[in-house]
Amino acid sequence: MRVFLALVTKELIGFLRSWGLVAVVLYSFTLDIYITGKGIEMQAKNIAIGYVDETGGGMSKKILSRLHAPEFQKPVPFMSTKELSKSIYDREIMVGLIFESDFEKNLEKRDRASVDILLDSIAATQSFQALQYLQNILFDYSKTDFPVELKIHKLFNQNANTSEFMAMAEMLSVITLLGVVLTAVVFVREKENGTWDIMLLMPIDPRLIILAKSFSQVLVIMGGVTIATGIVLFGVFDITINGSIAAFFLLSFFYAFTSAGIGLFVAAVSKNMLQVAQLSILIMMPLIFLSGAWTPIHAMHPLLQDLSLLSPLRYYIEGSESIFFRGTGFFDLWNYFAGVIILGSVLYFYGFRKIGRLF
Amino acid sequence: MNFDVIRAYMSKEFKELLRSRLILIVYILPTMIIILFGYGIRMEVTNARTLIIDNDNSKISRDLAERFHHSKYFDTVTVNAMSESEALNRIKQAKTDILVIIPASFEKRLLHRQKSEIGVFIDGAFPVRASTMENYVKGVIYNMAKSLHIQPKSLITINNRNLFNQAMRDEDAIVPGLIGLILLVAPAILSALLIVKEKEEGTIFNFFSSPIKKSEFIIAKLLPPLILHSVNIFILFLWATWLFEVPFRGSFLLYWIAAQIYILISLGVGLLVSIIASTQIVAIVLTIIITIIPGFLYSGMLMPISSMSGESKIEAHIYPVMYFNHIVYDTFLIGQGLDSPKNQLYLTILLFYALFLIFLGAWLMKKEIS
Amino acid sequence: MADLEVRNVTVVHRKTVAIKNASLGASESEIVGFIGADGAGKSSLMHAIAGVRRFEGEISFDGVVFGSPKEAEKLKPSIGLMPQGIGLVLYKNLTVSEHLSFFSKIRNLKENSTLDAYRHRLLKMAGLERFTERQAGKLSGGMMQKLSLICTLIHRPKLLILDEPTTGVDPLSRRELWEILEEIRENEGTIILMSTAYMQEAEKMDRVYLFDSGSIIASGTADELKKTVKKYVYSPVPCESKRCICTDRYTYSLDSLKAQHKKPTLEALFFVNALRRNVEIPPIKVSIRESTEPIAPVVMEAKGLTKRFGSFVANDHIDMELRSAEILGLLGANGAGKTTFIKMLLGLYPIDEGELTLFGKPIKSAKDRRSLKTRIGYVSQRFSLYKDMTVRENLLYFANMHNIDTQKASRRMERYAHELGFESYMDSFPKELPLGINQRFSIAAALLHEPVVLFLDEPTSGVDAIARSQFWQMLRLLKKRWGIAILITTHYMSEAEYCDRIVLLKEGKKIVDDKVENLHKKHPKAENFEDIFLHYYERNNEF
Repeated sequence: MRVFLALVTKELIGFLRSWGLVAVVLYSFTLDIYITGKGIEMQAKNIAIGYVDETGGGMSKKILSRLHAPEFQKPVPFMSTKELSKSIYDREIMVGLIFESDFEKNLEKRDRASVDILLDSIAATQSFQALQYLQNILFDYSKTDFPVELKIHKLFNQNANTSEFMAMAEMLSVITLLGVVLTAVVFVREKENGTWDIMLLMPIDPRLIILAKSFSQVLVIMGGVTIATGIVLFGVFDITINGSIAAFFLLSFFYAFTSAGIGLFVAAVSKNMLQVAQLSILIMMPLIFLSGAWTPIHAMHPLLQDLSLLSPLRYYIEGSESIFFRGTGFFDLWNYFAGVIILGSVLYFYGFRKIGRLF
Repeated sequence: MNFDVIRAYMSKEFKELLRSRLILIVYILPTMIIILFGYGIRMEVTNARTLIIDNDNSKISRDLAERFHHSKYFDTVTVNAMSESEALNRIKQAKTDILVIIPASFEKRLLHRQKSEIGVFIDGAFPVRASTMENYVKGVIYNMAKSLHIQPKSLITINNRNLFNQAMRDEDAIVPGLIGLILLVAPAILSALLIVKEKEEGTIFNFFSSPIKKSEFIIAKLLPPLILHSVNIFILFLWATWLFEVPFRGSFLLYWIAAQIYILISLGVGLLVSIIASTQIVAIVLTIIITIIPGFLYSGMLMPISSMSGESKIEAHIYPVMYFNHIVYDTFLIGQGLDSPKNQLYLTILLFYALFLIFLGAWLMKKEIS
Repeated sequence: MADLEVRNVTVVHRKTVAIKNASLGASESEIVGFIGADGAGKSSLMHAIAGVRRFEGEISFDGVVFGSPKEAEKLKPSIGLMPQGIGLVLYKNLTVSEHLSFFSKIRNLKENSTLDAYRHRLLKMAGLERFTERQAGKLSGGMMQKLSLICTLIHRPKLLILDEPTTGVDPLSRRELWEILEEIRENEGTIILMSTAYMQEAEKMDRVYLFDSGSIIASGTADELKKTVKKYVYSPVPCESKRCICTDRYTYSLDSLKAQHKKPTLEALFFVNALRRNVEIPPIKVSIRESTEPIAPVVMEAKGLTKRFGSFVANDHIDMELRSAEILGLLGANGAGKTTFIKMLLGLYPIDEGELTLFGKPIKSAKDRRSLKTRIGYVSQRFSLYKDMTVRENLLYFANMHNIDTQKASRRMERYAHELGFESYMDSFPKELPLGINQRFSIAAALLHEPVVLFLDEPTSGVDAIARSQFWQMLRLLKKRWGIAILITTHYMSEAEYCDRIVLLKEGKKIVDDKVENLHKKHPKAENFEDIFLHYYERNNEF
């Protein structure tokens, strides 16, 4: 136990004294998460809209007055369809409305009229949403007595607020990234400086050394997680957590250990820092890709679905989303815990054999 | 300028790249990024796991369930009896994405033109996906209403033309942007590494102590990444058009020229990084921090530049990312080509950035121990 | 006139003065030596002269006066610089011939038969003709230095600046390096500036500059310099005042002693200078071990130990015995397999063939070693200590690793710090300390658990004369008072004389295993151990 503490203390001192590393960790757990949460907005907002009105006002003005913030910018008038489409081709305007001269007449006479819409659909998601906004606005405007009422509840995040989600997802990526890189660096630095040989000659079980060194980095990560959840998630983005915060921290703790295990693997097969960097990128990208962070796992190719069982991030992301948003109970989380712990154990088993060896 | 010296340095770089197998990274990484992200980022929702609780079990309600069933967007399971709380629990356990509850006597009320209410619950943990699912569900139900000939009194319909990306494919939306991201990050890392490696290992002394000019050294260091990554312009183009089937409507010449200039910008960034960094690992981390965030935020991949406001709009105009992405999307999806004054302007701006960054780097670099 | 003149050069590096107001001169065909402890400013001055570092003052060479790297640019075609560090300027995965062609091209030399012939001559001088297709990273340290030197010579510089080209290089390669230098200066009239840690090398130079803490404090030929300290050098007698230092072979004293004067070596300069500057060099002490566990007479026994890397045999059936109260010197050229052998003994490399017995226990698996670890101390080539922890923290950490009781550990730490003379550095970081101090506290860290056997891999490379002398004093005391076994590798042949027994490795094979005095008896003509070493290595110069 004393040896374990000494090892952990040593690594923590080493970490705190390399200010560059501290700065990177602090940046990643605060500003980086903040920028992602604030900056990456996937809901269509503030859409640039332009129109050509050949009707001479009235009905069209009323419709246009319904297009406002936060969804739309103030509609920009254009003299002709040609000008409007030029602006769309130059991507200054995303949506163009064209009220043709017979629009009002048709609406009065036949109760039917149509608006022509030119849509820059490059950003598919946003364009799709923009179209939906317009449809809803026009639908409301039409007088209907539609007999079916839809009561839609978006559970856990009624306003579909992307900031919260993005910030949260970014935090999970940061944990993965730093868990792997910090741990790999700790071991490879010793390999590079030749101190690892000395450590192996100490009268201590090398497994203890490996565990203690990983544990020290897990502590660093957990410190970061505390800062990130406390200040950024709860403080700045004001996220409400529906499940148990203790469960989240426990899962994060195990996950940090597992990602440190990946770092151990990286360290075991690389000779220097440069290889660590290259390998980390090559390993991490498929790992994140297979985690379901971007595409739900059930929508992937069946082969990839099977492969994704090997990504510890998969269990962590699903588990964390369940805790934060779905408010899943502690005992329903067992499969996430099991996934993270089993994969972690395998990695440590490999690490012990590969770098904790004296002949 | 002595071309023999430059050639000697360059052939040394190529040999080293080949023997250290770093060249694999040069070609594997861009391809890996475009494939992973291209397949990985799916905003479009398919196969949403949908649970329909049909409490009515009538012709109309079964018809509604059928409509869900036939849509590619949903993977449906229909049950006739399940408590709401049990169903909600399934969402909590992430086993179900959408829950649709059709009330009892739905058909009867509908035929009597009485209001009836369909309850829809959507897992909102991933907000964009949730909004998309919401719209799909609405679509299915409105369509059903139309087919029942329940018409509103007056109706404004939309007659929309989707320009550039008719089918609203995610691939078309994202893949061209990824090309911009890769061509910003990868050459910068490589050029920074080639210089910082010499600093870290000490071979930089060969440059310091010999009569090689600073300009010769910089050219010798930047040309190999330029040549290697120029190949990636074509490789990435092939992946985009062949694997992801993104249409290419514009001028290939414009795409090619703009990409070449963009690589120069990236090399300039790498050059600047190499002046600050003294170890390879620092060079990598610094380059990634500098390039990836603006590369994503201001690419227009996630949010169109026209939707930005305030600071972010100004920032987008400061980074070169936006200008290149405009041209790339134009060449792939819009097709205005070199005739468009905006493209001409942006191309000029890119050229200016490239020259500015490289000359700044050349000016800041010193041929002495710092 | 290819004369070099350096006037009042000051180099400031990150606000600390590396060298202040240095002036010197050299003329055609001269070899000028820079000697001094590490951090004395030798490298900085060399960088300034080579035009790769900013400086104040003025340097003129070949009729061109410059005051900045930029102004030095036009001289670069006639300057060659080989910075400090083994193989530093080499590209590890380029071959020998690719290096020569690369350096010819960046020096803008015309490819013709003259250049080709010159390259061949250089390769031959360096003994690298047979290795032209080998990658630099796979050469031995000595070969790397020779390759670096001929790459620096390819453009026939008129001014050659070599920063410790021989540190960490074996005697044979060192002699070959010198042969190249002698030939070059004779044929080309090159001025050679060279720093060195080997005083025998400095003796051979035309003029020597002695550096100390950022200034040049003495200059002259080796004889002139030695003359200046002659009167302070005596045969070894115990010291009584602070103005006196006693080593194994000499006593240096500023006050006159009754003892007999002895012919000084250049090392004496360092000691006398230290005395003059009132630098306290406390005598090294070693008190007896706390542990009373008896030490077996034979500590280690190896029979037919073999290590292969692919088809390359690094150690070929080596038999060796290590006894208690013995200092065993393991010598050999770079790449002869010394480090590999030590690592095999320690269990850092697997043993491919042969038997190893440690403390009477045959070693078959890693398990057999576990209980023996407490009896082994090891200092690797690079004094591997943690750079982000102070000396005290480092020592405490190692004490914890060995589960030594905290109070006992800090008592021991204080004692070592006092006895080995690094007390005042306890709260500094390793990188702020001179190499000599680093080396001593690395040893202290390896001694904390009072091992029975100590493995030292090139512990004196790059360390200055005073620190080296103190280091050996300490080893001898350890042997005497602790009775432990010490296995040491070194490239300083003068240090070989301090060992009890020598094992000489050549191409992975053991070729000599004998007591030092026996070896001297066998080779009565040899002036020093270097001659004996070269004798064995030259007999069949195939490697």
